[in-house]
Amino acid sequence: MVAEFAAIETRDLTKIYPGFWKSQQVQALTNLNLRVRQGEIFGLLGPNGSGKTTAIKLLLGLINATSGEALVMGQQAGDQDTRRRLGYLPEESYLYRFLNARQTMDFYARLFNMNRSQRRQAVDYYLDFVGLDPAVRGRRIGTYSKGQTRRVALAQALLNNPDLVIMDEPTSGLDPVGMLEIKNMILRLKAAGKTVLLSSHQLADVEDVCDRLVILYRGRVELEGALSDLLEVKDVFQLEARKVSAELQAKLVEMTNAGGAEDIQTGRPRVRLEDLFKRLVDAKRRGEPGAGSARR
Amino acid sequence: MNHHPGFDYIAISAYAVIGILVVAFVLLAFRDVGRLRTGIFRAWAIGRTTIAEAWNARIWAIVPIWFVICLIISLLVRPYSAASQVEIYLTILLRAQLVMLLVYLGILACVSLPRERERRTLITTGSKPISRLELLLGKVIGICAAGLAMLVLMTAITWGFMVVINMHIKHDAAVLYEHEQHSYNAMVRRIPPEPGVRYTARHGVLQAQNYYTGTLRIAGLINYQTNPPERALKGGSSETLYFEFPSLPAQVVSPPVFLLHFTVLRLNPGAKPNTSAQQTAAVLPPVRIHITAVLRDNPMVTAQQSLTLSPNGTAEWRPKHWTNFFSLYDPTTGRLFDPGPVLLKVTSPTLGAYLFFGAGTKAQPPACLAFNLDRSRAPAGVMIPKLNPVITGFKSNNKQEIVGPSYSHPGIPAEVASFEFHHLPDKRIPIGKHGNFTVHLFLSVDKQENEALPAIADITAFTLADPAHPFRMQVRFAEKHLTVLKLPKSLLDESALVINIQSNYPGHWIKLTQNSVQIVRPPSSFIVNLAKSEFIIFCEVVLLVVIGVTASARLGWPVAMLTTMVCYVLGNLFHFVYKLMILGGFGLYGPYIDSKMKGLWYYQIGSFITAVMVKMLYALVRLMPDFTRFDPLHDIIISRNLPWIVPVVDAGWTLACALPILALGYLLLRKQELA
Ligand SMILES: Nc1ncnc2c1ncn2[C@@H]1O[C@H](COP(=O)(O)OP(=O)(O)O)[C@@H](O)[C@H]1O
Ligand SMILES: [Mg+2]
Repeated sequence: MVAEFAAIETRDLTKIYPGFWKSQQVQALTNLNLRVRQGEIFGLLGPNGSGKTTAIKLLLGLINATSGEALVMGQQAGDQDTRRRLGYLPEESYLYRFLNARQTMDFYARLFNMNRSQRRQAVDYYLDFVGLDPAVRGRRIGTYSKGQTRRVALAQALLNNPDLVIMDEPTSGLDPVGMLEIKNMILRLKAAGKTVLLSSHQLADVEDVCDRLVILYRGRVELEGALSDLLEVKDVFQLEARKVSAELQAKLVEMTNAGGAEDIQTGRPRVRLEDLFKRLVDAKRRGEPGAGSARR
Repeated sequence: MNHHPGFDYIAISAYAVIGILVVAFVLLAFRDVGRLRTGIFRAWAIGRTTIAEAWNARIWAIVPIWFVICLIISLLVRPYSAASQVEIYLTILLRAQLVMLLVYLGILACVSLPRERERRTLITTGSKPISRLELLLGKVIGICAAGLAMLVLMTAITWGFMVVINMHIKHDAAVLYEHEQHSYNAMVRRIPPEPGVRYTARHGVLQAQNYYTGTLRIAGLINYQTNPPERALKGGSSETLYFEFPSLPAQVVSPPVFLLHFTVLRLNPGAKPNTSAQQTAAVLPPVRIHITAVLRDNPMVTAQQSLTLSPNGTAEWRPKHWTNFFSLYDPTTGRLFDPGPVLLKVTSPTLGAYLFFGAGTKAQPPACLAFNLDRSRAPAGVMIPKLNPVITGFKSNNKQEIVGPSYSHPGIPAEVASFEFHHLPDKRIPIGKHGNFTVHLFLSVDKQENEALPAIADITAFTLADPAHPFRMQVRFAEKHLTVLKLPKSLLDESALVINIQSNYPGHWIKLTQNSVQIVRPPSSFIVNLAKSEFIIFCEVVLLVVIGVTASARLGWPVAMLTTMVCYVLGNLFHFVYKLMILGGFGLYGPYIDSKMKGLWYYQIGSFITAVMVKMLYALVRLMPDFTRFDPLHDIIISRNLPWIVPVVDAGWTLACALPILALGYLLLRKQELA
């Protein structure tokens, strides 16, 4: 898909939160230059307070830039018509506590001028899509658990079948299974040709799904590029196999040494606790007995 | 700077500010306004959610609370008569609605946006394709819709309540009438039962009567010896005598003296049949008059004085603050600025005094003359008012009395209240089976003597085309009950109908108002009339909600609430502040300060500060919508139909006021950060 414009483009985007005195001012974002192509998954990384949320709010026109400009879908950020094609998952799920999930979705669907049948269809489709337990859909959101709320928030972000989905820390507040589901969902969005901008400080999230990313630190871009380029350690070779006897191991090390390789390391791989947890929950759901040991 | 005295530059500036707001809105919001075709649905979505929020905040609770309060009050209040029962209940029910809705929806309006900001739901909503205008309108629409729902509920309850009350009243009246009729037939009671009671028993009190009211003149105590007949200023009434001096201030630099001369006739209300005129005069207090001089073109400049007439009916007024009053001497040009004609208004508070005055001809010099005492300046001598004295009668609804026939002055005809009705054929006045039309009388009586006799009014009705053949009748009337009169339809011709009322017995003074004689037109439905009153309440609430939402566009809810409250209070103060201006709120002590004091620097500073404060207050008040115009109780409590024009004009006024306020709200919200 060749696009004539980038999904997101910012030029020297700067945001200074005003304070009463100069010392209270916060320079949240300094000269941000981003270019997100259409159809890619773009990661906005950085530690807490590095300006990720600020950048996203600027892109949505929720706050006004101090200087610089931001274009979304070729239009100035905050343009009302552009927002039709946008989905936004806020950092925390800011939803009306007194509405239930269906009413919430219905409300947002109305903001997209959907008619009654469209609304009814979309509401249940996306609540199913994010896997919200049907039993809780009629309850007020104020009574939901964090994960349930998060799912509703995600559903409202996808409600209008957006071309560009902006997700601010999508996995925060979710259990590892939920995280995995989100990651799969993001990949599915990409497969459907959508553009995804996601911010996170949990690097594991980004690592699995992002095509390209920037790393922000104190409002400035520190690193930028394609994930594969950034993470591939070009001068290291890795080999993995089962049933390698101690003999064979010694032999392999010897051969490598003889071949002139340096810094040889050997050992057993470990799975991450996350994977273990996931397998456990999956097995439980399928009704199998627990898969106790680490497997890969 | 020299303004024309009648030029209210503060009001003009206020209108200019409002105009600028609207223009700025049109310039900046035209894209958002253009989107409203689909945007109105998005605004309604916001509105729905706001209603849900209101519902969640238990807004419905105001209906039961209101009802319980009203029930308690109406159980405690025991009115004197059926008519006033309706009046009191409706007043309580409607006023309580107004207050509760104003408070509740006002709070909601001020809280709604700030709370969304605090809970950050605006972040999610703001990421959707919605404009700030839609957001603003959505909030207003939502809260108003919630208010409307409450109001409809309360209207239904009010109606049900009134229907029950009406049933009781009808029943009680029927029982009373039957009882009185019975005892009258059995000769236990000397007076036949009140016809008004029977009317109530038959028709109940839930009515929306349409009336046609004439103009009232009290054509009493006319001295027919003179030609033309001489008319008296009636003491103790709101009648006002006007004299106009065309260009007095331009010529008079020194204080003039006003000489007033009346021929006074006194009637002693309590005088017994054989009291002589001298005896009457001895017990009566002296006659007092109030004089107000006012510039016709600038009614803010006034001087007032209360005087006592001498026994021969004269008084002399030397205005003390003449220089202050007329000192429109322009120091920059050194010339005298002509402020236009001066009106001298004379009223008398003394009941039973009748002040005859000359017609202003050569033979009858006017009752008021002005003398210029400063003979060094021209012109010296007498200044005569330009016009014949004009007498004005009633203000809208104040009560006046006509005296009964007099024992002591048999030569003088008793006072006549004369009601004149024009254009009757156009009024579609319903004619009954017997070829009669109905007239309602609202009279009450002040029995100075002859307390035991029933109150009877002598009615004379004739058309101006044929005054020689009047229709005469005597009707008994009861306090607080309307009296029904049937008149032949032949009286309804192209010329005017005149209905004259006189009191039948000496010492019976009939009290009446402008509306005391009303020709009945086909009635309207009570429930529609109630709905109109409720609609006026709604208009007032809408205006407050618009102010509240606008105030909360930038402010937090406590400050927004305070602002809204201040706006409401100022909006109710318009007439008060305007009067403050007119009655000399300009300086520290107004004009009543001697010139020595005026030179003192601290007086000048103090005076300056007060003047600025009053003007600022006035400017503020000018910027506020006038809330005093909303009067939901005006007609319904007296069983009258509210003309459609009133709710229609009120709705138009509400919209006209809401537009600049919403424009301000939009401008405030336009660049507001939502996160
Ligand atoms: N409304 C605000 N007013 C003042 N400072 C703010 C505001 N919002 C965020 N900041 C500051 O801006 C910086 C960046 O914040 P944010 O964009 O939320 O970071 P991140 O999302 O990367 O954790 C932080 O230092 C934060 O304190
Ligand atoms: Mg953040």
